[in-house]
Amino acid sequence: MTSLLKADSFEERSPQAVLAQPCTLTDLTAVARVGFRGADSAAWLQTHGYRLPAQPNKAERQDDGAWVARLSHTEYLLLGALADHGAPVAALEAQWMLDDNARNYLLPRQDSHAWLQLAGDQASAVMAKLCGVDLREGAFAMGSVAQTSAARTNVIVVNTGRALQLLFDRPSLDYFLGAVSDAMVEFEE
Amino acid sequence: MNSHTRLPAPMGLLIDRERPLHFQFDGQACQGFAGDSIASALLGSGRWLLSRSFKYHRPRGPLSMAGQDANTLVQLPDEPNVLADLEAARDGLVVEGQNFNGSLAHDRDAYLGKFSRFMPVGFYYRSFYKPKGMWKVWEPLIRKKAGLGVLDLGFRPQYYDKAYLFVDLAVIGAGPAGLRAALDAANAGAKVLLIEQQPVLGGSLTYARFDIAGTRATGLRQELLAAVEGHPNIQVLLEATCNGWFTDNYLPVIQHKRLYKVRASRCLVAAGAFDQPVVFRNNDLPGVMLTSAAQRLMKLYAVKPGQRAVILTGHDDGYLAALDLQEQGVAVAAVVDMRAAPADAAMAAELKRRDIPVHLGSTVYEALHEAGMRHVSGVDIRPITGQGKVGPHGLRLACDLLCMSAGYMPVYQLLCQAGGKLAYDVNRDEFAISNLPAGLDIAGSVNGRHALGNVLADATRGAADALAALGLEAPVQPVFSAEAKVNFPWPIFPHPKGKDFVDFDEDLQVRDIVNATRSGYRDVQLVKRFSTVGMGPSQGRHSALPTARLVAHATGRSISETGVTTARPPFQAEKLAHVAGRAFDPYRQTPMHRRHLEAGAKMMPAGLWQRPAYYGKPEERERCMQEEARHVREKVGLIDVSTLGGLDVRGPDAAELLERLYTFGFAKLAIGRTRYALMTNEHGVVIDDGVCARLGEQHFYVTATTSGVDRIYQQMLKWNAQWRLDVDVTNVTAALAAVNLAGPLSRQVLAKVCDDVDLSAEAFRYLGVRQGNVAGIAARILRVGFVGELGYEVHVPARHAERLWDALMQAGAGLGIRPFGVETQRLLRLEKGHVIISQDTDGMTHPAEIDMQWAMGRKKPFFVGKRSIEILEAQPLKRKLVGFTLPKGSPQPLEGHLVLDGADISGNVTSCEYSQTLGQIIGLAYAGAHQAKPGMHIPIRVEGGKIVQAQVVKLPFYDPENIRQEV
Repeated sequence: MTSLLKADSFEERSPQAVLAQPCTLTDLTAVARVGFRGADSAAWLQTHGYRLPAQPNKAERQDDGAWVARLSHTEYLLLGALADHGAPVAALEAQWMLDDNARNYLLPRQDSHAWLQLAGDQASAVMAKLCGVDLREGAFAMGSVAQTSAARTNVIVVNTGRALQLLFDRPSLDYFLGAVSDAMVEFEE
Repeated sequence: MNSHTRLPAPMGLLIDRERPLHFQFDGQACQGFAGDSIASALLGSGRWLLSRSFKYHRPRGPLSMAGQDANTLVQLPDEPNVLADLEAARDGLVVEGQNFNGSLAHDRDAYLGKFSRFMPVGFYYRSFYKPKGMWKVWEPLIRKKAGLGVLDLGFRPQYYDKAYLFVDLAVIGAGPAGLRAALDAANAGAKVLLIEQQPVLGGSLTYARFDIAGTRATGLRQELLAAVEGHPNIQVLLEATCNGWFTDNYLPVIQHKRLYKVRASRCLVAAGAFDQPVVFRNNDLPGVMLTSAAQRLMKLYAVKPGQRAVILTGHDDGYLAALDLQEQGVAVAAVVDMRAAPADAAMAAELKRRDIPVHLGSTVYEALHEAGMRHVSGVDIRPITGQGKVGPHGLRLACDLLCMSAGYMPVYQLLCQAGGKLAYDVNRDEFAISNLPAGLDIAGSVNGRHALGNVLADATRGAADALAALGLEAPVQPVFSAEAKVNFPWPIFPHPKGKDFVDFDEDLQVRDIVNATRSGYRDVQLVKRFSTVGMGPSQGRHSALPTARLVAHATGRSISETGVTTARPPFQAEKLAHVAGRAFDPYRQTPMHRRHLEAGAKMMPAGLWQRPAYYGKPEERERCMQEEARHVREKVGLIDVSTLGGLDVRGPDAAELLERLYTFGFAKLAIGRTRYALMTNEHGVVIDDGVCARLGEQHFYVTATTSGVDRIYQQMLKWNAQWRLDVDVTNVTAALAAVNLAGPLSRQVLAKVCDDVDLSAEAFRYLGVRQGNVAGIAARILRVGFVGELGYEVHVPARHAERLWDALMQAGAGLGIRPFGVETQRLLRLEKGHVIISQDTDGMTHPAEIDMQWAMGRKKPFFVGKRSIEILEAQPLKRKLVGFTLPKGSPQPLEGHLVLDGADISGNVTSCEYSQTLGQIIGLAYAGAHQAKPGMHIPIRVEGGKIVQAQVVKLPFYDPENIRQEV
């Protein structure tokens, strides 16, 4: 399955195509993402048209296919849409300026976090080999967020419906990619 | 061998007669079928002697045929102590016996059994320590005899892993109760995990007989399996063992080379009950086995267990087993029933109809054998005249198979681990389990339900309770019927000549247990420790009940008061490989990692990071380092310092937070300036350092050590919360890649790729910080000098790291730029006398010891550790970090080598390298305060115990006027 590990392979496939695979792993590290934290972050994001999850550890799909995950009361993670490579999110990141009169701090998630997408009907089974959180559909529905540890690495897991989005320490990409790929072997067709 | 030597189908549920296999046992060729265990294949070939007993080296054959005893322990090439009745036979497998002296068939140590009278329990403790010094004589002899099997020291690790499983209900045991409960729960919508130790579902339905016609088990099994197999809500784990129970139903389940960590909302144990042996003389001979074992042999493996059988029983199941045996062509010489009458008169009538003699109120007093004790050859049957007593005369019958079953003992181990209590029911003469924690339940024979109808009803009841707790609709609670007692109250018949084994694993006889109580060990836990009963591989599965009875009787207490010994995980022997699983060893790579490999870097670990030590071949380390160092001193070098910790501290109280956390003052630090940042803990101990750069009024960028940044980040978060400051702290270590461009030509190189920052010495002075573009990349540029030369740290977003590296290397190509590694950097900084926190400091180092008083903000009202530092500084200084030199060619001290003060140790070397720049060995070491004056000599004990006299010198070694870095 490692043949699918290409940074340029994030073109959206049909849901049926993804689900037909027991498990596929795609490296989305090149797709835009960014974080904001602070008491004024919610308002700032809303003024930019983002719909925010009502509570922490939830994620909300945006109209353009991007996702906003709420990681705490005042922290948000924006995942760019695959269709446009996250261009609006990248633009938002570029637009941000530190304002001493506002509590809205940019978190450079594109640089701090790698991004893998784990899709297919065995995705949660793969993660069960790495992570102690129940990520099965029944327990971890679409729009759920888990901030946990997998293969001894801190990971943010977002269920975007057809796939689990895994965000973790960018310098650990090579290691974590190996760990997930190893866990996937038994599910290969 | 061909299939004709086995019983005809439907016997042999597990074997595939179309797939014969060949293996070796004890040097002889053996045959079997796919699906055979090693033991069944050997028995199918007529080979009954599988092992030798632990202490007396008595010949042993299978007892349970279920992997629940030590009689089948064998040696595989790469693994000792393998249970032959569990391990699958494989083509080409080489199996050996173990624990013998000579051969398995002719064990020279078998004579030990004749001296059993002189080896009572505890004789080890009494015999080998007297007279004084005798242990040294005995020890090698005992060590030679000790242990079972041989370890393969050339063993290569194999792939084992772990996985979590999350379920609503875990059902342990897939016998009739487990299957029924799983189905009821799954049908109601629960996600069920069904865990079964055997390779097929069915449990006792696969081998036991439940009715005279012999049809009920098969029909029921087919019916249940048809519903279970493919059920969307049931996940089945076969050949899987739940090896423990932990709080909140955290269940370690081992299947093959995987350990599942099961998290179950509810757990239902339907693990059944262990068939119990009868205690009589020679009850351990090959050919004497549990009744259920004989049934397993026939029904699972199509092995005919004997030609002429005697069945010793304490319940009606023995009658049904007699029917099984007779139907498979085994002549049943007698059923010996310890009771006065069977519970179901129809059983007796059926046996009578089939001309099978029944001896009521009788027992086997002794199993007989031919010379060599290779196999049972007959039995001495006596009438029972009282508790454990028999008449003086009886009947001798010839037989080659003796099946025994005194009753059943619930599989209590997991349940007692969970806090369950065993109470002895004197009316039913069996242990019952109670006091289970919420979320854990039992059903079936483990719950004292033995009649099949009640077993199924209990399963439905258990499933209903679980479903109710899960909030699902539960089936109607069933009705139970009365059932007969299955345990004979005292199936223990001591013989004057002994060899009436209570514990087969440890060769413990009745008198061993009784004598332990007479030695004062009245508590069953002490009896266990003194006698070792229950300590063997079977962990009391067959010895706990008779031991409880014997100890209770010997101490005048009830069996409930006596109880059984504590059950602890694991339920069954498990390998360290299962516990370890697949090792996860995280590592981190900087975003320029590929560039280092392309440049031929020798990588080294730095915490989790992989960093270039130097560029070149390992065998040329010294040359590479010296060349790289000279290059930095004379031209320009580039090092990847992305691993350096980075923290963005932002907000109105950012300066206040740093003011309180670090020893220096930062409130007045000008925007565009950096300052050395030293951190101490509450005890005044130096814990980290870095550089604090002020990028804005409310924005500081603070670097920290590679190994310390996570801890410093935590400290900042903690103190920020505790002091209720308005600060956002972000760990940007991974987000920012960084390089240090160092050397006299570094300004020229940087100028080629940076045109929006005035790099002149006047405009961008030492310790300045600027934000600009380097090669078109937004960068933070810090003028710092860790290596003691003109230098710039350039920090950029990680995604642009390789582009930055390439741009700088290209820009410096004409100026001779070359990369340098961490080891070179350490040499360079040593020349400059810079300490590395945690290498040149330890858990006691305070600022005065490393000459860092200059980094203290003395006028500040507070910083973490200030009060402690003041107290420490008021004390006489005991040690000090000093620079030392040794002439070129001297034995070079290594880190950790001791600094001496007469006969005492006054310190140790923390850093030491040969400096080509300086032409001598230089280093840092802790020495006594009175040894620290420049010009003094400190004795350092180097490799081989040799003492070298190093000269203390003033730091830094290189460029003491700081001309080069501040140019």
